[in-house]
Amino acid sequence: MSTRTADAVIVGAGVLGASVASHLARSGHRVLVLERGAPGREGSGTTAGNLHMQAVHTRRPGQKVPLDSARFLPLQRAASDRWETLEEELETSVEVRRTGGFTVAETEEQCQELRDKHEWEAAAGIHTEILDGDAARAALPLLGPTVAAATWCDLDGYANPLKVTPAYLDSAARHGGRTVAFAPVRRITRNGGGWRVVAGRGAAEQVVDTPVVVDVAGPWLGEIAALAGITLRMTPVAIQMHATVRSSATMSHLVQHIGEGLSVKQVAAGNLLIGGGWPALRMDLAGRSATSLDSLVGNVALAVRVLPFIRDLRLLRMWAGPLAATPDEMPVIGEVPGAPGFYVAGGTYAFSFAPLWGETLRCLIEGKPPPVDVSDLGPGRLMERRSQEDGRIQEDNGPEQENHQDRRSKRC
Amino acid sequence: MTAERGTAVYGEVVERDVVIVGGGPAGLSAAARLASAGLAVTILDEQPELGGQYYRRPAPAVARHWGDHRPEGGRLIAQVRAAGVECRTGHLVWGVDDDGRTLLASDAAEHPVRLRARRLVLATGAFERVFPFPGWQLPGVTTPGFAQHLAASDHTTVGDRVVLAGSGPFLLPVACSLIELGVNVAGIAEAGRPYRPSLRALGTLGHPARLRELASYAARLARARVPIWQETVVLRADGRDRVSSVTLAAAARPTRPVRTVGVDALCVGYGFRPQTDLARMLGCEVRIDAASGDAVPVTDAAGRASRADVYVVGEAAGIGGVHAARARGLAAAYDILARETRVTVPVSEARRVVSARRRLARFTALTDSLYPDPAALLATLAPALPADTMVCRCEAVRAEEIRTTATGSADGDLNATKAWTRAGMGPCQGRECGFAVAGLVRSVASDQGAGESRVEVFPSRLPVRPVPLTTLLELAGPESQEGDA
Repeated sequence: MSTRTADAVIVGAGVLGASVASHLARSGHRVLVLERGAPGREGSGTTAGNLHMQAVHTRRPGQKVPLDSARFLPLQRAASDRWETLEEELETSVEVRRTGGFTVAETEEQCQELRDKHEWEAAAGIHTEILDGDAARAALPLLGPTVAAATWCDLDGYANPLKVTPAYLDSAARHGGRTVAFAPVRRITRNGGGWRVVAGRGAAEQVVDTPVVVDVAGPWLGEIAALAGITLRMTPVAIQMHATVRSSATMSHLVQHIGEGLSVKQVAAGNLLIGGGWPALRMDLAGRSATSLDSLVGNVALAVRVLPFIRDLRLLRMWAGPLAATPDEMPVIGEVPGAPGFYVAGGTYAFSFAPLWGETLRCLIEGKPPPVDVSDLGPGRLMERRSQEDGRIQEDNGPEQENHQDRRSKRC
Repeated sequence: MTAERGTAVYGEVVERDVVIVGGGPAGLSAAARLASAGLAVTILDEQPELGGQYYRRPAPAVARHWGDHRPEGGRLIAQVRAAGVECRTGHLVWGVDDDGRTLLASDAAEHPVRLRARRLVLATGAFERVFPFPGWQLPGVTTPGFAQHLAASDHTTVGDRVVLAGSGPFLLPVACSLIELGVNVAGIAEAGRPYRPSLRALGTLGHPARLRELASYAARLARARVPIWQETVVLRADGRDRVSSVTLAAAARPTRPVRTVGVDALCVGYGFRPQTDLARMLGCEVRIDAASGDAVPVTDAAGRASRADVYVVGEAAGIGGVHAARARGLAAAYDILARETRVTVPVSEARRVVSARRRLARFTALTDSLYPDPAALLATLAPALPADTMVCRCEAVRAEEIRTTATGSADGDLNATKAWTRAGMGPCQGRECGFAVAGLVRSVASDQGAGESRVEVFPSRLPVRPVPLTTLLELAGPESQEGDA
């Protein structure tokens, strides 16, 4: 066992880890990515790969903490710009398709939400258009009769998640970055002014001294931070996706719902991907999370109502994947207070945000001003507060638990 | 209109003492015995008639002209019906409900049916083990099982001049069935060297009936002067609109042609793989069998899986042939009777089955030892597969892409290779290409010295077969079925 050094150790070869590795390597840093399994096989491999650029979320029944769209939209705008140049930057195709998307409403209340969201979007510089039901059906005849209104945003789209992560890792490798797969991180200790990271076992053990650790471990973000003695209140969840057989009909736009958990798109092969953040039966961070029939049936019923042509297809496959999430529904990104050199990033819409967060982390690590202000999104807000009286960790899991059940429309 | 969690409660629910999935020899044997002891038994089969692959019923017109090729199957089915078993043919079991025990099925009209039982017997059978070669997608190239199926149930031939290839004892009866229909069987290419007098083969003398069966096939083939080319594999098939010739190679050097034979049909198969999706979906423990590379449910002598309420019998529990399947079905039935009823199975009857099961297990082991291990064959065939050979035809993925991905970003991981190439993601759910993809991944993983492939088989996922969304909508309740009204 020999000790090596790196300028930065990145924990997790998901889309975020791959992005930050590429950004740092291209900037001349010697980076090492440590991955517990095969790269890009957890949340980043199970996501639908949607690029969410119009506001995506509303208060769903039972959801106590809505996403702060007004705060989030300027970040989405910045994220959107980076997808424009990504393929050029990575010198390969990752199947970025900016074919636009609809967010539909069925009730009067949902229509009002579309109008509210339209104003926030305008303020953030994201162009959207409101269509009434007939205009929406004229634009996309596949929409069903219950659609009362829709917003159209030509920035929405998708990229192939199975290509984005490898492309980022290849780009990092071309600039001297290394990725070690099947090397779960076991220990993170302070080492002088920096960190010592131990991963893997036996002959494959890696011991690395580094001034910078970037924890982008997705659903394991909290566990990895805990290895370094940092307690973060993360609320990982597992959600599921459904794929139909190939359809002869063509739907080139992303379709989402403002008030319920629904996102539908067609992939290049012709299959329709139906998602919307419906919860898996069980999250299993050691293996594959179990899918739920209830979620399948609920998600499919909703999809068929909004897009009736789907009803004639067959379900081909379904799967569930775990995701990082925070109690306040907002992303987390930044250096951990009191742990210099330890950075975290993850949460809400990590796929859409991967290019932006990679660049942002590089700037933070290099001490340069980031492309967007993320000072309010740092991990400090997720650190445990200890009660003065008995030293017990304060718990306020009530709303978070409900949140788990209702984050459907959010991550897909 | 809102579909919330917990709404998937519509559709018929069947509650029985025992539900048996699969109406082949194992399932039928268990069903007949259990129902005759008074238990409420339902048996499901995907096909419109009971019988499974082995006891497949001939089409009525065929039966009238040529009779029933396996009358014992017809007798067993009659016994099952007479015992009062509820027979649900045309029912596909495609998943397991969120409670982890209710089976999800659809009937012949594709309406959902949910079934619960105190004991589940999975007799889901097997599917053919195939391995691709250049030209395997040509019309006229089939599996031996398909040729047998056409011959038995429809009295129809796959071609006029046929070569059978692959490995295993199954090639012999298929060749005989074809000869009976007047087909010119140009030869049998067997990857191993099983057909020779040897000390090991003498062990079959302990199994005179089984030996007679194999010997009678061999004798019929000899009379028909069908050559058996041993240690020979398919190199490629050629033809324009249909296969017109097959080129064979020595198994030891699978890239060098030794013989080209003109044919209008070619049947290639390497035996069978247990169909374990449902067992795995129910959480039954499986082990990877080193000799075959297959996932095999872990069961006790009675077929009881790691879950006490689930039995896996017949070929699904490991390939053993029809006699073993019937014995396993009975053994599971006795165990269930002992647990569920006061019915006492006569000691002599139970003993007979136990000793038959043991004898047949020895015979299976012996037969297996005559033929090459599928895993060893795969290790020879996979590296020799030409780069542009189509491996997954559902998703059009070629050998080279699988190798490149497995050595690159997937880092020797089967499931990562599947995710990145789409191999195994099509409507057949990887049944056809799974063996080959695993072999390709393993061969390059060991090339690299990057360590062994970590997963040997594709995971089992709901649905077992593609299921219509309209079936799911019925589970969501009446509101969801109104369609676009």
